[in-house]
Amino acid sequence: MDSKSNREKIISEANRLRWELGENLYDTLMETIYNNASEIANKAVTYSDKKSPFSFDRTLDKILTSKYFGIPIMLMMLAFVFWLTIVGANYPSSILASFLIDFLHPELKNIFLSFNIPNWLVGLLIDGGYLSCAWVVSVMLPPMAIFFPLFTLLEDFGYLPRVAFNLDAIYKKAGAHGKQALTMAMGFGCNAAGIISTRIIDSPRERLIAIITNNFSLCNGRWPTQILIATVFIGSLVPAYLAGFISALAVIFIAVLGIIMSFIVSWALTKTLLKGEISAFSLELPPYRPPRILQTLYTSLIDRTIFVLWRAIVFSFPAGLVIWLISNITIDGISLANHFINFFNPVALIFGLNGVIFLAYIIAIPANELVLPTILMLTVSHLGLNDFGAGSGVLFELESIEDTAKIFQAGGWTLLTGINLMLFSLLHNPCSTTIFTIYKETKSWKWTLVSTFLPIILGLLVTFIVTKIYYLVH
Amino acid sequence: MSLFIYLVLIFIASILFLKRKQIVFLFKKIKNEDDKILQEDILKNIYQLQKQNTICKTETISTRLNEDKVKVQNSINKLQKLNFVNTVDEEIHLTESGKTYALKIIRFHRLYEKFLADKTNLNEKTWHKVADEIEHKLNQEDAEKIAAQIGNPVYDPHGDPIPSSSGELPEKIGISLSEMKHNEISVVLHIEDEPHNIYENIVNKGIYKGIQIRFLGIFNNEVSFYANEKLCSLSLDEANNIQVGIPKLEKIHLGEFKKLSSLSVGEKGKIIGIAKSLRGQQRRRIMDLGIVPGTIIEAELESISGDPVAYRVRGTTIALRKNQAEKIYIEKI
Amino acid sequence: MSFQEQKLSNNIQPDCANCPIHNIGNLKKLGINMDDFDFVVALAGNPNTGKSTVFNYLTGLRQHTGNWPGKTVTRAEGGFEYHNKKFKIVDLPGTYSLLSTSVDEEVARDFILFGQPDVTVIVADATRLERNLNLTLQILEITDRVILCLNLIDEAQRNGITINERILAKELGIPVIPTVARSGRGIDDLLKMIYDIAIGNFKTKPIKLKSNSEELNKAIDEIVGLISVEFPNLPNKRWVALRLLEGDQSIINSILNGELGNIKI
Repeated sequence: MDSKSNREKIISEANRLRWELGENLYDTLMETIYNNASEIANKAVTYSDKKSPFSFDRTLDKILTSKYFGIPIMLMMLAFVFWLTIVGANYPSSILASFLIDFLHPELKNIFLSFNIPNWLVGLLIDGGYLSCAWVVSVMLPPMAIFFPLFTLLEDFGYLPRVAFNLDAIYKKAGAHGKQALTMAMGFGCNAAGIISTRIIDSPRERLIAIITNNFSLCNGRWPTQILIATVFIGSLVPAYLAGFISALAVIFIAVLGIIMSFIVSWALTKTLLKGEISAFSLELPPYRPPRILQTLYTSLIDRTIFVLWRAIVFSFPAGLVIWLISNITIDGISLANHFINFFNPVALIFGLNGVIFLAYIIAIPANELVLPTILMLTVSHLGLNDFGAGSGVLFELESIEDTAKIFQAGGWTLLTGINLMLFSLLHNPCSTTIFTIYKETKSWKWTLVSTFLPIILGLLVTFIVTKIYYLVH
Repeated sequence: MSLFIYLVLIFIASILFLKRKQIVFLFKKIKNEDDKILQEDILKNIYQLQKQNTICKTETISTRLNEDKVKVQNSINKLQKLNFVNTVDEEIHLTESGKTYALKIIRFHRLYEKFLADKTNLNEKTWHKVADEIEHKLNQEDAEKIAAQIGNPVYDPHGDPIPSSSGELPEKIGISLSEMKHNEISVVLHIEDEPHNIYENIVNKGIYKGIQIRFLGIFNNEVSFYANEKLCSLSLDEANNIQVGIPKLEKIHLGEFKKLSSLSVGEKGKIIGIAKSLRGQQRRRIMDLGIVPGTIIEAELESISGDPVAYRVRGTTIALRKNQAEKIYIEKI
Repeated sequence: MSFQEQKLSNNIQPDCANCPIHNIGNLKKLGINMDDFDFVVALAGNPNTGKSTVFNYLTGLRQHTGNWPGKTVTRAEGGFEYHNKKFKIVDLPGTYSLLSTSVDEEVARDFILFGQPDVTVIVADATRLERNLNLTLQILEITDRVILCLNLIDEAQRNGITINERILAKELGIPVIPTVARSGRGIDDLLKMIYDIAIGNFKTKPIKLKSNSEELNKAIDEIVGLISVEFPNLPNKRWVALRLLEGDQSIINSILNGELGNIKI
């Protein structure tokens, strides 16, 4: 009993002293600690007279943040990283695809069938689950295995904080943190990885902004859709010799639109939802360090690539099952997928899209890589085209652009559908891997829901307006 | 059909962008808590009036609260039944339990203001208003959670002491700004946040809690002084709403106050203080990084647009935005 | 007592005489599985000092490290064996300080204070020693069994910075081990020192903060006086007093419920 009152006395006495001391306690304390620290450091540390410390760093900093060279160097670096990723990923991607999809898929099927496993189970597991995983691996793995190590090398070297330093002024205007430039760049590789990388932002408001807007960075999984649709619909508008250039321009336009959207949304968020959130800027420019290439390759493969890939596979296997099931379960002689498509069609037309696209975006939520093959498969099975594809519920893509265009034509696609699909591909919910990651990082359902639905609403708004304008012009 | 969908989309979008509080507010309005709020406001006001040794009658309170006299009298009667106040010859006094209750509301108010200052980005002019609403909605448990979260503060952001959870409160600290003597140096301890227009004038003149004052004198009802060595003047009313004094851990700086942001690349300075308007996590983070009074700091590198600027501090390079560097005071060396 | 005798007396006593059994309860509360381990080592340090590299080197695990703060957001754990003793090593979040109210700092501080690790290794960046000493001095206020691992010593040399680790060790009153964690240089010395401190072969005498502020010292002394009555065996009374002046809720709670009395050296 006595002890209890003693303890309470300690607390109340401390409280009284706090009133007396005023509010400079933390300041005084930090001053004390740092005074002690510098006293000790002065005794123990000597600097060589020959060169001032970090003279190399300072020179490099002067160049990398100079008014004339800063931005061009940064753009060149980024362009190089992206070029290497896109070009470099092509070959391993096609090798993986031909092994996992063209070779292993039929082989597996044969093996399973030879064990007298029922047809439907083989279809479900191999055509459904396995194939969608194989798809995700072959499209996702190579670019990530190139992009992440390159990015990590720049990070380890110490260049990325300088990029944040240079770009902070722009981000500050949108109420965000300069480091968001880096999380966005990471998002171009993979949104889930981009969201994990927002850990580098230690200010709560700016971190949330970076998380919510990361989806506006056109990720790896969406580039193939963009490129194909642009080639089929935009490229065909101009003479053949310009087609490649114009469709590339269209894709770049979409990517830039994404960046612009992320600024607008960042700004809007700070004025509304995140108005009261605390903001604290700090950015340390660490010394440059020689990067360790081998170790970086190893750790970034393990930490980022495999980590993200694993999450994607875990999510895409069940998606594959669902895709196969809705294509193969029939009610009144019509597959579930077709029921859905017929149901969605009238609504989708208002947004200049179609039921197939809607359904594809719903069932291919685990990975954006799956959207295009799902659309093709659904279109073919919906129309009952027998010349293409490998059966209902089996994902496929075509070598020939012309054949792909033919499928789209048969499906009733117009230029509007193409444009809106490109826009919707940029502005829709994050893939489930990313949504899961957002929840893990924010631990908040509210922010997970906001990050999920905000882009969908924006996407529907934009496609709706574009449709209106399109019909006005035509 | 399409118009309908358009409207639905806009509706959903606007809900998403609406502040959560506003939505909650829409529903809250329905519940009639007016009476509880009025009673609590009355208790708070009686406490404040008693502290100023002002005689407290029903009229005094109804004018202060700008409320109908009959309504106020009704509430006072209820408070009397609850044994929170007693009335002798129309003079209203708080009972012991009434005083405890009033202190609790004051604690909630000041705690919440401190919370808003440290943990949110809301403009300082809105703290008081928000806290006035929240003080009636908090319960003891939530209030203690908030207190723990912000390090159990003992002062609110205006410099008012926060009553402890057991209802202790120190005596008034400091003197009024207008009572200072010529050339006396002191520090702003408290800025009264009521009435609001006077508070806003003071804030707009750039006076904040913690700023150093060197007093000049009163000329034609204008109070003149140096605030951080910058010439400044206030009306008597405004100056009377400011309390000054020197807290035990305060260091007085003699000489000019330069802002860190005024350093150009290659120049050095010694930090003499960080404005109290750099608050909460922001302030602590900067100090953790070694930007504390007494530190030698050198502007090292400008970013492309000139903001932020990187400073050399204790062997590290730290980038600060201009609006941060403006709140750090140095003397050039 | 000669070294031999000391070792002998260690052997006579039950297996874990020197490792504070009493903190096992606390460690379990902090989520540490202590079934198979003799000693707990905490790894603290500023962000971006190579802390995770040291951790990886000691445990053989791989964690990515980068030039960014906040990499170790969740607490990582691993284990290693040295001279037949099993060590559990806990990688605390990288922080600049233990005084602020951020989650990371609370995790790190609560672990060092209530978890009472047998050894705390502070990984410091030799190129930015002064800033790193901030955290070091704060940790020395809480616990005595500390080793300063002076990492990135090669970087420092490359930039013309020389650190006299003998002087540093003398000033701080704790062992200072220069390392280059990325190549493994100095890790053996670090291991040996961890072992020596854990089994009690090496006693540290860490310095305590000296404030110039009379007022602050007076206030601290006053509270230390009160604490001494209630918790006479508490080793870090000054630090607890400081935390009370800062209004730290977890310290207030541990005083009110008496948990603070369980902390011993």
